[in-house]
Amino acid sequence: MTLIGDLVEILGPDRVLSEPLERYLYGTDGGVARGEVIVVVLPETASEVSDVVIAAKRHGSPIVPRGAGTGLAGGAAPAVPSVVVSLTNMKNIEIDLGNRTAWVGPGVINLDLSKLTRSSGFHFAPDPSSQSACTIGGNVANNSGGPHCLAEGTTTSHVLAVEIVTADGEIVLLGGPAPDPIGLDLRSVVVGSEGLLGIITRTLVKLTPNPLDVRTILAGFATMEDAVATSSGIVARGVVPAALEIMDQKMTRAVENFVGAGFPTDAAAILLAEVAGHPAAVEAEARLVEQVANENHVTSLRVAADGVERAKLWLGRKSAFGAVAQLAPDYYLHDTVVPRTQLVATMQKIYEIAERHDVLMLNVFHAGDGNLHPLVAFDASVEGQLDIVHAAMEEVARVCIEAGGALSGEHGIGLEKRDLMPLLYNEADLDAQARLREAFDPDGLFNPQKVLPAGSRCADLGRPLPTGAWL
Amino acid sequence: MTIAAVFASYVRPAVADSGLPECDLMVAPQTIDELEHILDLASEHQLKAVIWGGGTHQGIGGRIDPDLLIATSQLNRLIDWQPEDFTVTVEAGMRVSDLEEMLADRGQMAVLPELPGAATIGGVMAAGVSGWRRARYGPTRDRVLEVDLVTGDGRRVRAGGRVVKNVTGFDLPRLAVGSYGSLGVIAQACLKLWPEPSTKVTVSVADGDRALATAYRPTAVVESDGVAKVYLGGTEAEVDGQVEALDGTVVPGWSWEPEPTGVVGWSLRVPPASTRSAIERLPSGWRYQAGLGVGEIKAASVDAEGAAELRAWAESQGGALVIVSGPAGLYSDMDPWGTPPPGLDLQRELIRRFDPCRVVNPGRLPGGI
Ligand SMILES: Cc1cc2nc3c(=O)[nH]c(=O)nc-3n(C[C@@H](O)[C@H](O)[C@H](O)COP(=O)(O)OP(=O)(O)OC[C@H]3O[C@@H](n4cnc5c(N)ncnc54)[C@H](O)[C@@H]3O)c2cc1C
Ligand SMILES: Cc1cc2nc3c(=O)[nH]c(=O)nc-3n(C[C@H](O)[C@H](O)[C@H](O)COP(=O)(O)OP(=O)(O)OC[C@H]3O[C@@H](n4cnc5c(N)ncnc54)[C@H](O)[C@@H]3O)c2cc1C
Repeated sequence: MTLIGDLVEILGPDRVLSEPLERYLYGTDGGVARGEVIVVVLPETASEVSDVVIAAKRHGSPIVPRGAGTGLAGGAAPAVPSVVVSLTNMKNIEIDLGNRTAWVGPGVINLDLSKLTRSSGFHFAPDPSSQSACTIGGNVANNSGGPHCLAEGTTTSHVLAVEIVTADGEIVLLGGPAPDPIGLDLRSVVVGSEGLLGIITRTLVKLTPNPLDVRTILAGFATMEDAVATSSGIVARGVVPAALEIMDQKMTRAVENFVGAGFPTDAAAILLAEVAGHPAAVEAEARLVEQVANENHVTSLRVAADGVERAKLWLGRKSAFGAVAQLAPDYYLHDTVVPRTQLVATMQKIYEIAERHDVLMLNVFHAGDGNLHPLVAFDASVEGQLDIVHAAMEEVARVCIEAGGALSGEHGIGLEKRDLMPLLYNEADLDAQARLREAFDPDGLFNPQKVLPAGSRCADLGRPLPTGAWL
Repeated sequence: MTIAAVFASYVRPAVADSGLPECDLMVAPQTIDELEHILDLASEHQLKAVIWGGGTHQGIGGRIDPDLLIATSQLNRLIDWQPEDFTVTVEAGMRVSDLEEMLADRGQMAVLPELPGAATIGGVMAAGVSGWRRARYGPTRDRVLEVDLVTGDGRRVRAGGRVVKNVTGFDLPRLAVGSYGSLGVIAQACLKLWPEPSTKVTVSVADGDRALATAYRPTAVVESDGVAKVYLGGTEAEVDGQVEALDGTVVPGWSWEPEPTGVVGWSLRVPPASTRSAIERLPSGWRYQAGLGVGEIKAASVDAEGAAELRAWAESQGGALVIVSGPAGLYSDMDPWGTPPPGLDLQRELIRRFDPCRVVNPGRLPGGI
């Protein structure tokens, strides 16, 4: 029987998509890479996923797991012709308020979980800007962040257990509802594994109590340096706000035009700071934010008067990438990290790089944790443009690593940054990563040729695996 | 050449200090390069090595009759502290108490176990233990940004980075937490720090559960043998407001109770909402300290009477009852961990690739791996 025939037998014809258009649509994600899809399947249970994995393996077809396809690093774009397993039909949610947790299917949309738990006083803390579209499975696979991960931590801090289907088609539960599950903490390494270690079919996530009080402060500055100094100054004074986001003027203007959030378009940079928690803490922390902003020559300062105004400010922040569509048909969104103290110097170098390559760059970033998102708006149909953008962005990555930073803070490595990994890790480091991958998936069935550059697994390092039984 | 002669240059007098077990070969590498060489040699000679941090919790897990003891006491340097970035990088043999003392000078904290005794950073990470403040700050695994491991066959491997947010590659730093050396020796780590709250108090309350429900995200609520204390931190106004609602006796600062001690030490882990039920199920005579809202209970008893039933119940809740310390005989009567977790094959495959000759702490993990 053919692969497609086998898959139809498992899922029925409606959940096996093999028309050219369907295959085309699933060939890319939110990033710029595109790959070849053999067939798309839409399983609804872990055991269906397991059957699909076994069938694909029998036919020697690689598998790419996929959520909403909003990833930006090409994680869900096949690097080689693959079966795409879309998890969007797996939307079960079981809430356990007593333990402040929920079991969620990988296809649950991030925002839907918070909406569902809001009236009980809880939310799911990781809030990527794409939260109205991206799935929890994708969040877990990418260890996604969001503005509010500054105080609450990224997705990994909110995952207690994951159920995965392994490359053998086995369904395994890693972690559990009690603290410190015994044995190696495989759950922690499946989080952020970008679909290379297994297919996530269920996750036990923590729910976070909604803050008693929130204050959102919008500050404008005449220079980017002042905005960054304010953000770093707040953290250095011992306050970890709920969020600290900065936008440059180009971005602010694009957003204003797009959603009219009320951002000051004359400011060179704006800082969106949110403090949340106990009312008394909020009061004191808001005062500190204002004080540090004043010390750094703030030019305008506004506190959101109510929930409506706050929601508008956040809509502005979270629409930033969408707003860029007004400027050019395509955009390339980068994601790197530097130590907070290196922000000012690094931003300067990044603007220089943009100027040198003559590209239109806009910046919006998670200043509180040093996570940068330089974005280049361009037209991919103009020949050579994408190459120029790639060249500029590679320089940005180098500059960030030289500053003591990392290649990705939240979007992942995927295809996009795979070949840059040696900038950060040496042979032995990459070999260790490859060994880890090999332990889960020795044949490279899941999402092959992602994250680790070719040749990462280095046979010359270390002692050969002894043959025969041990352990 | 005898094995002792091979290792001769690494044997340091400092090893002879405190409470070490009987072992013919005891080494204390002074640099990570030396540690690499030692593990390479140990692999070559197929030795079983135990890693010794502070030695405070060698009772956890399967018993080992080691050929070699590797003390991390000399690997105790501060590598890099960036107060403004809230990160610190230290060698694994540094004592937790020394680190926290140093950080406190600049109003920072690593939020590791509160009464660490001689425990080292590497030991705390390897054993995957957290302090009670995990209720507010998350467990130790949330603090580890970068790790340098020396694998069982002597390769230095670095993963993660010295930044507070990072998804570059697989999360080996978190995997190292709770690995009990099975992937290798933790040689160095970068930790994320937190600002010390300007005001800290401890409030003794009559009803811990009620306090937990009343307080807004307290630092910790810990009940020791029926006596509950709420730990609060934050700005003065916030703490004052919270204290009022709690209606208890207040002392300034965080005053932590020593954990219960006895012939047998236990770690009982249950889903947070089952903590009260777990306390009620402790066999009579057991002393305990429980993190309310966390689900972690440290207990001590004179023997293992009733432990099997308690373990069966804990496991039925998705938790565990782990032996932390006890007489040698206990370990042959009762598995130190209980029922091994699912995914044991994956764990084995992983360990095989990091420690192919199974040198470091062999058999310490659940399932005897
Ligand atoms: C439930 C529970 C509650 C606890 N509560 C507290 C508490 O409140 N306060 C407190 O201070 N402590 C507490 N501990 C103990 C814990 O913090 C230990 O102090 C710490 O884990 C041991 O550190 P150590 O340096 O003494 O290491 P050791 O006891 O020497 O080693 C612990 C384990 O880790 C391995 N190991 C040590 N160093 C390394 C390394 N560098 N690389 C790889 N493996 C290594 C050892 O071989 C051993 O298996 C608790 C432990 C448990 C299980
Ligand atoms: C406008 C916009 C804004 C964004 N803002 C943010 C932001 O603020 N923070 C942030 O972190 N990211 C952001 N992103 C990136 C993206 O939304 C996140 O990475 C998101 O978590 C991806 O989820 P998804 O469901 O779309 O996953 P996909 O893109 O479908 O997949 C992402 C990766 O996860 C794997 N995967 C998906 N599901 C599974 C599964 N069930 N099991 C195993 N592997 C799986 C895929 O193979 C792929 O490698 C943004 C993207 C866009 C387009």
